[in-house]
Amino acid sequence: MSAALPQSSLRRSAVIQRRVLGALLVREMLTRYGRHNIGFLWLFVEPMLFTLGVTALWTATKSVHGSSLPIVAFALTGYSSVLLWRNMPGRCIGALWANLALMYHRNIKVFDIYVARLLLEFGGATVSFAVLSVAFVSFGWMSPPEDFLKVAGGWLLIAWFGAALAIALGALSHESDLVDKLWHPVSYLIFPLSGSAFMVDALPPFAQQIVLTIPMVHGVELVREGYFGSQARAHYDLGYLVPVALALSFVALLLVRRVALRVVPE
Amino acid sequence: MTVIERLKSVDRLFIAVVIVPTIIGLIYFGFLANDIYTSEARFVVRSPNKDEASPLSLVLTGGGLGGGGGGNAESVTVIEYLQSRRALTDVDQDGLVSRAYGGEDIFWLDRFGGIFGDSREEFYRYFQTKLGVAEGTNGQVIHLTVSAFAPGEAQQINARLLDQAEKLVNSLSERARADAISIARQEVAQAEEAARKAAVMLSRFRNEQGIIDPELEAASDLQMIAKLQDELIAARTQLLQLETYTPQASQIPFLRAQVRSLQKEIEQQRGGIAGGSRSLSTAAMRYQELQFNAEAAGKQLTAALASLQEAQAEGRRKQAYVERIADPSLPDYATQPRRIRNIIATFILGLLAWGVLSMLIVGIREHRD
Repeated sequence: MSAALPQSSLRRSAVIQRRVLGALLVREMLTRYGRHNIGFLWLFVEPMLFTLGVTALWTATKSVHGSSLPIVAFALTGYSSVLLWRNMPGRCIGALWANLALMYHRNIKVFDIYVARLLLEFGGATVSFAVLSVAFVSFGWMSPPEDFLKVAGGWLLIAWFGAALAIALGALSHESDLVDKLWHPVSYLIFPLSGSAFMVDALPPFAQQIVLTIPMVHGVELVREGYFGSQARAHYDLGYLVPVALALSFVALLLVRRVALRVVPE
Repeated sequence: MTVIERLKSVDRLFIAVVIVPTIIGLIYFGFLANDIYTSEARFVVRSPNKDEASPLSLVLTGGGLGGGGGGNAESVTVIEYLQSRRALTDVDQDGLVSRAYGGEDIFWLDRFGGIFGDSREEFYRYFQTKLGVAEGTNGQVIHLTVSAFAPGEAQQINARLLDQAEKLVNSLSERARADAISIARQEVAQAEEAARKAAVMLSRFRNEQGIIDPELEAASDLQMIAKLQDELIAARTQLLQLETYTPQASQIPFLRAQVRSLQKEIEQQRGGIAGGSRSLSTAAMRYQELQFNAEAAGKQLTAALASLQEAQAEGRRKQAYVERIADPSLPDYATQPRRIRNIIATFILGLLAWGVLSMLIVGIREHRD
């Protein structure tokens, strides 16, 4: 823990952790999707079907989103990012209870279980977003993003925030069932406010100020700016999102350490 | 234990993530960063035709792309202008802006041309970071803020921007006014031309036919026929009486001749009014057409004159204009950088990052063979 330990020991530990994570990933995929029909492909087919359905619905109803942006691209960027931040906490809440038996192994830590599930969710959402983007672009339903780096940056920031939120809620849920009960209504309430269904610019100024206190909005706006560039005026402040995500990560890690001390293997 | 040994014993991560950034922040915010003064102006772009906006257009502008709140088209134009390259060029004509941000006494990190080169595009981007154009919470008042390294320069740049915005709005409404009037003038000229043509046609027709008004003339001709018919009846009655009572009267042949000539005259008069290509009824048809044309042209001219007058009256009322609520202020102390606050923020963020990183590393170290 101190600088007294040789550097190679940290590297060795990292290698072990990576192996643990790899094994947990495979285990998660098998327990969740099994080997039937298309197996682990459900990982990204599931969110893809969700996004496709929402895109079709929004296109059919010509949903009011307060801008002249192409609806397909708008729905894809909006709903994919919702999947990203909403599924992570969903999967992490109660994750420890399901994996308590594994805690007998010396090298499997509480944090590893959360990270494995987060990686899985992140991978699924990302592959779904990427595959649908490529498909829609090649069908000519939308144009490729104007600034790929901005899209990637926004996406990673949403993922960071979602992951920190997921770990914090996951650790809390181990001690109280309330978290699980409350998360579902809360996530549904935040969904329409998270910037996925509207551009912040379309709101009146006082509503913009309120909406911009929700951290996800900044990430979604950044993704949108990367996609639409000059067509849309995005409102985001990385000076708000990054400190919030950092602080939340800190809290999340503290909670994990607390849970790790108290966890009782079955 | 010397100081250096003591420092070595502290976690290296802590030094890298907390102490070094805080020291850099301390040096930068404490000594290097220049004071930034912000000048603020507030104004409204008024346009008299706002009342005519239908609920639909209110919804559209309220939910439009650049709309923000209930901003009207003019204020959107002004906002777009203030953020445009043209505004920067207009304000920087004598190099005021370049001098304000490129001074040698400004720390090179904050100075324009310090690290990113001094192309016009970079200058525009740089200026955008110093410029704030925001709609107030009700979407009507526009807040224009300019930050600079000297209070006077901030105020001067802000004032120039405001003046340019005012000029833009004035020229836009002047243009709209001139357009409206010139269109109305054109319409008046066209109507005048049409009315003149119609009048000329009518008078030429009168000259050619030798008739002032065919209907009046027909009426007088009909009167003549009635009189002739009276006479004819009188002559016939007399003739009948003479033939009955004094068949040998010497007036009989005379009366017969009179009756004949009267009948002939009546026939002729009737022919003049109706029937035949040179009769009055044919002329009346053509005459009515011409007169209708003349009347229509006259009415059109009246309408065109009225709309010209209206356009001129409209123009006398100012169309859209900038109303200043607060002139560009002269900041008397530097609001930026908030030195203590930024140093503390750097320290806290460093601590958070250190906490996260060290916990992650501890987490990794827990995995052992």
